[in-house]
Amino acid sequence: MFYSHFLHKERPVSDVPLSIKIFLLISLVLQLFWHSVQEPVVAKAEDLPPPLSTRAYVMSSLGEPIAVSKFLNLWLQAFDNQPGASISFHQLNYPRITEWLDTILALDPRGHYPMLVAARVYGSIKNPEKQRIMTEYIFHKFNENPNKYWRWLAHAIITAKHEIKDNVLALKYADALAEKASGKNVPYWAKDMKIIVLEDMGEVEAAKILVGALIDSGEITDPYELNFLTQKIAALEKKVLEKQQSVER
Amino acid sequence: MKKMLSQALTISRFTVIESLRNRLLLLSFLIIGISFAMVEFIGDLAITEHRVTQVAILAAFLRMSAVVMLTLFVVSSTVRELNDKTLEMILAMPIRRGTYYLGKLAGYFSVAVIIAVIFAALLLLYADAEQVSIWAVSLFFELVLVVALSLVMLFTFSQVPAALTAVFIIYGAARIVTSIFLMAKYPIVAHTSVAQQFMDAFIELLTWLLPDLHRFTRTEWLTYNTADWSLLLPLFGQTVVYLIFLSFIALFDFYRKNF
Repeated sequence: MFYSHFLHKERPVSDVPLSIKIFLLISLVLQLFWHSVQEPVVAKAEDLPPPLSTRAYVMSSLGEPIAVSKFLNLWLQAFDNQPGASISFHQLNYPRITEWLDTILALDPRGHYPMLVAARVYGSIKNPEKQRIMTEYIFHKFNENPNKYWRWLAHAIITAKHEIKDNVLALKYADALAEKASGKNVPYWAKDMKIIVLEDMGEVEAAKILVGALIDSGEITDPYELNFLTQKIAALEKKVLEKQQSVER
Repeated sequence: MKKMLSQALTISRFTVIESLRNRLLLLSFLIIGISFAMVEFIGDLAITEHRVTQVAILAAFLRMSAVVMLTLFVVSSTVRELNDKTLEMILAMPIRRGTYYLGKLAGYFSVAVIIAVIFAALLLLYADAEQVSIWAVSLFFELVLVVALSLVMLFTFSQVPAALTAVFIIYGAARIVTSIFLMAKYPIVAHTSVAQQFMDAFIELLTWLLPDLHRFTRTEWLTYNTADWSLLLPLFGQTVVYLIFLSFIALFDFYRKNF
């Protein structure tokens, strides 16, 4: 029995002095206590710092701009996704968000993630002033490269008409889309977005037409994006239904 | 020549056996498991560009993991040979120092191939097979340089902390030196001071002395399918040139060492 001590690489737990075991437990309890008295971590929207230069991100990621761009997408998104921070959409500094979106696009110019969040995450809040900042950002990016970013301007048109309720702004975007997006990849219906603006069409119908047309033209291929947009439409439908029911009552 | 080759192959074989006994293979699979869990979690967070987001973060993580793992293995295993006097025992036999170095290098390259293949296998779940193959070959080239650099630093410093620090600093510098050079060359505010000009010249010197690692194992190949096999030719050229350079630095130090 005694010799077994030397046959194994490690001695049995009973060989450890009692004081060490007790202090190990105490130190574990101390760590748990320390954690319990710390302030809980919550999303602080006003803490969104200004972005660094793109080169700083390239260097800090050891030359991985695309990976850091994707990571920043998720990090920026997490500012609003954290529990208990649903009101932070309104607290966020929107001009600063556009700086972040620009930085992320500069790190990965082929990506569309920042445009989706501009159009459908930050552009969906109930604050016309902030929504206008996002649609103007999309319009600005569209003017830089109309054939690449046209579909985001199509989303902005619907936001301008139905959420900001500014028909003049929606028409301005629809005109720009018809005039500047001339690439072969731009479907014919996109140039006719004026119809959606001018017709007396509900927000849900307009959004459904847009998403359906984007799927038909092969612009939406990512199942997660499709799922996200479908959920958005379902939420809109629910909202419209609730509104109708309250009017009927 | 035949005898030298046979000796080198024996040393190489034992290096691979050591990697297996060090549970390096097991560690690789552990990293694969952690990466898989991480990337699936990331996939749930992304609302669009789901695959691209997963691939970009996974590729960068696997690349860094491969570099760190292999550096730690090369440095720790060679230090162990120095401390256990195994190296002295080998050199007491009719084996040239150059043969020993060649054998170790070949053994570590075999380990690098295994790591590159295991890591690339996970990427096959998320990216195009041809692009993953090109990425894996490029990762192997990068790991070849990391192995050679680790041996140089170990022969120079003979201490684990110093050797590891030097490898990671030089590796990091090789990855970002082009960005630093561009920043220095096109400053926002023009500078004319002597100190600044000295720094600019020093950075330019680094671009000449360090391998162009930012061209290796690029994530965009996997995310946007931009690579073709011809891309590997200049990478192969850079790997061969720098491997020869590092090998002669290592041999220079190794032949000067007294045991």
